[in-house]
Amino acid sequence: MNYPLWDVPMIGGGWVIGITAIFHLLISQFAVGGGLYLALAEQKALREGRRDWLEVIRLHSRFFLILTAVFGTVSGVGIWFAIGLANPEGTSALIHNFVFAWAIEWVFFLVELATVAVYYYTWGRISDRLHLQVGWLYAVASFFTLFIINGILSFKLTPGSEWLAVAGSGQEASRFWEAMFNPGFWPSLFLRMGICSSLAGVWALATCSRISNDKPKLKEEFIQWTAKWLLPLFMTMPFLLAWYVHQIPEAQRVLFTLGVNTVAPGVFTMVTRMVVIILVSSITIMGVVYFIALRSPSDFKIPQAVVIVFLALTLVGSLEYTREMLRKPFIIAEHLYSNGVRTKAIERVNKDGYLKDTLWIRGGSKTSVARGEAMYRGQCMSCHTVDGYRPTRTLLAGRDRAAIGSFLKVLHEHKPDSPYYRFMPPLVGTDDEVQALGDYLETLVPKTENSFK
Amino acid sequence: MKSKIDALWKWLDERLDLSQIIAFAQHKTVPQHKYSFWYYWGGISLFLFLVQALTGVLLLIYYRPGPEAFDSVRQITYEINFGWLIRSLHAWAANLMVASIFVHMFSVYFMKAYRAPREFGWWSGMLLLMISTVFGFSGYLLPMNELSYFATKVGLEIPTSMPIIGPLIGDIVRAGPEVSEYTLQRFFALHVVVLPALFVPILVFHLWLVQRNGMALPPSEEARPVQERKTIPFFPNFFMKDLAVWLITLNVLALLAVCFPWDLGVQADALKPAPLGIHPEWYFMSAFQILKVFGNLLPGDLGEAMGVGIFTLGIILWMLIPLYDPDSRSGERARHATYFGLLVLAGVIVLTIWGYAAL
Repeated sequence: MNYPLWDVPMIGGGWVIGITAIFHLLISQFAVGGGLYLALAEQKALREGRRDWLEVIRLHSRFFLILTAVFGTVSGVGIWFAIGLANPEGTSALIHNFVFAWAIEWVFFLVELATVAVYYYTWGRISDRLHLQVGWLYAVASFFTLFIINGILSFKLTPGSEWLAVAGSGQEASRFWEAMFNPGFWPSLFLRMGICSSLAGVWALATCSRISNDKPKLKEEFIQWTAKWLLPLFMTMPFLLAWYVHQIPEAQRVLFTLGVNTVAPGVFTMVTRMVVIILVSSITIMGVVYFIALRSPSDFKIPQAVVIVFLALTLVGSLEYTREMLRKPFIIAEHLYSNGVRTKAIERVNKDGYLKDTLWIRGGSKTSVARGEAMYRGQCMSCHTVDGYRPTRTLLAGRDRAAIGSFLKVLHEHKPDSPYYRFMPPLVGTDDEVQALGDYLETLVPKTENSFK
Repeated sequence: MKSKIDALWKWLDERLDLSQIIAFAQHKTVPQHKYSFWYYWGGISLFLFLVQALTGVLLLIYYRPGPEAFDSVRQITYEINFGWLIRSLHAWAANLMVASIFVHMFSVYFMKAYRAPREFGWWSGMLLLMISTVFGFSGYLLPMNELSYFATKVGLEIPTSMPIIGPLIGDIVRAGPEVSEYTLQRFFALHVVVLPALFVPILVFHLWLVQRNGMALPPSEEARPVQERKTIPFFPNFFMKDLAVWLITLNVLALLAVCFPWDLGVQADALKPAPLGIHPEWYFMSAFQILKVFGNLLPGDLGEAMGVGIFTLGIILWMLIPLYDPDSRSGERARHATYFGLLVLAGVIVLTIWGYAAL
């Protein structure tokens, strides 16, 4: 560990990445699916000579431009800041492997940004045919940004045996293509395309609901067309999801069922709970789109649109959260743990010590508690906070020094039958360092049982 | 296939007069105006009640009153498949139902929907609210954890401190001088048998009154000429909208139950001292605060008696409002009633916040 640590109280650095990334995904996935929606809708309007449709599409493209090119872009940069600060080891590992991929993605991103601006500002200024071509160019460029990012994101969960064989050797980039088209690439790409296109439909319903009531027929046509866009997508989604889940490693898939019979803290019950949200919100969206938008479009108004958008955002947020959780305890499966420890370095660190690479220890390395705090910051804080999210103080409540010691021993040994094996990285370091961490943790636990104010 | 369905329909219709019911539903209309939003809150409350009836029955399968109460709730929360979800839905739906009844009550109040001929709608609604809070109070004890035990103990000190009848009430409700497993048994009987048996008939009466009298128009709409008023058919238009609102409520409920599952707490131990900051559920907070304020102002039982007296008087006045403001077109009484309503609403909010701040 050579990087300074970013201590975010209460929510932890992980959630800074989480919040920024989910916000960004809600918009960027709309940017990808929306390109397809705009191009197809414009093509239909031109084919049928519907000038009134073009006006609606123009208004939608303005909303689209502002949301994607402003908020999408800013939050995308935000992710770089967040991951660089909150998880430097992971970011470094990914950059070393995928710098070429990101370079390609940025080219497509530039084309995307340029074409979306051209698309909006040339309505009525260039020929219909050329305008439509710009629309298609945008759709293709934005699809390829997803295509590449999908490779990097799916790699983290399923890096594949070829890449893992060279991981840590310094030759990782030689397996770039295998890493890019890893075992999870295609199911993940299709699932993401499904989500992107659905989001495009959901946002379009929001714009449709704002078409003036003076043109009831136009409004109803647009709402119904968009509903017809959404329903088949929603019906294919369970199959795409099943395909995606099927390729998730067995060890990770078990996380889905951990919360079926319990809400006990300290184990990963959240994934099951997220699945409940995903199911309820998907069925609701489908119900509202079918019964109101398709069957009774005149009743589809702004409140209904707001509800659908809110539910879709909840749904996408839950999906992304679940995907991130499924990767636990790794950032890159089988290679890099979520606290930045590499699987192949465990033995060496246990022998030579974890803190020898740690430059920032409070007051130097004089006391055991100070060294323990540095251990805590380096190895625990990427997932836990002291008092907020996954609070160490609460999780350790009721344990004395000996109990903390036995718990740390379990984490340090990291045996496959340990209850924490599947969700927590091993605790690494020399016996002295583990001892120091125990001394520090003891200072966090309240001395008397204090469940009352 | 279609002819078979038609034949089945005809068979049922001849025996149950279904087409008459549908004709009635289609004939019935619901007014549309800028306050229509408030019409949904009665339906939301009803939906949340149905959720509780269903989840309550499911909890009943595993819940064991008596000495094993806490352990059975622990099993539901930590062992039985989706037990935690059912329990969380039940508890969240209870809180949301009381909240939505409050919204419903105040919207009815400010839209003057208690006026003739809807007085019984107001009174039956008030009864339903009161029973709901007793539902909440009795259900709160059932897990027998530390918080519920001591909150019930403190809560029961209020009625038992009343002069003359207080001790008798204490004996009947608590089944002895202290809250114990016998109290729990009584609360259980109250919660799953007595209260539903009271609640359901009043609810049916309340809903029948809504059918009989139709939706009330707020005074601003009543002032419009009849031809300018907009309506939509109850079936299928309003019915579909109501269903959509129920669906949204279900989503909110699911989100809360999943993201903030109900905690089990620590097993109650009568020998332990009461933890600090014990307080009743939020919907009793304003009443609790009034009692505290008067208890501090006046010495001994006098303060509490005064607090109980003032609170009871307030509820009686609130219930009698249809008699005070039956159909005043002059605006004078109606305005007084509105001011009184605003005062009560502000009072409830301020006292509740004050109550929490003073913990």
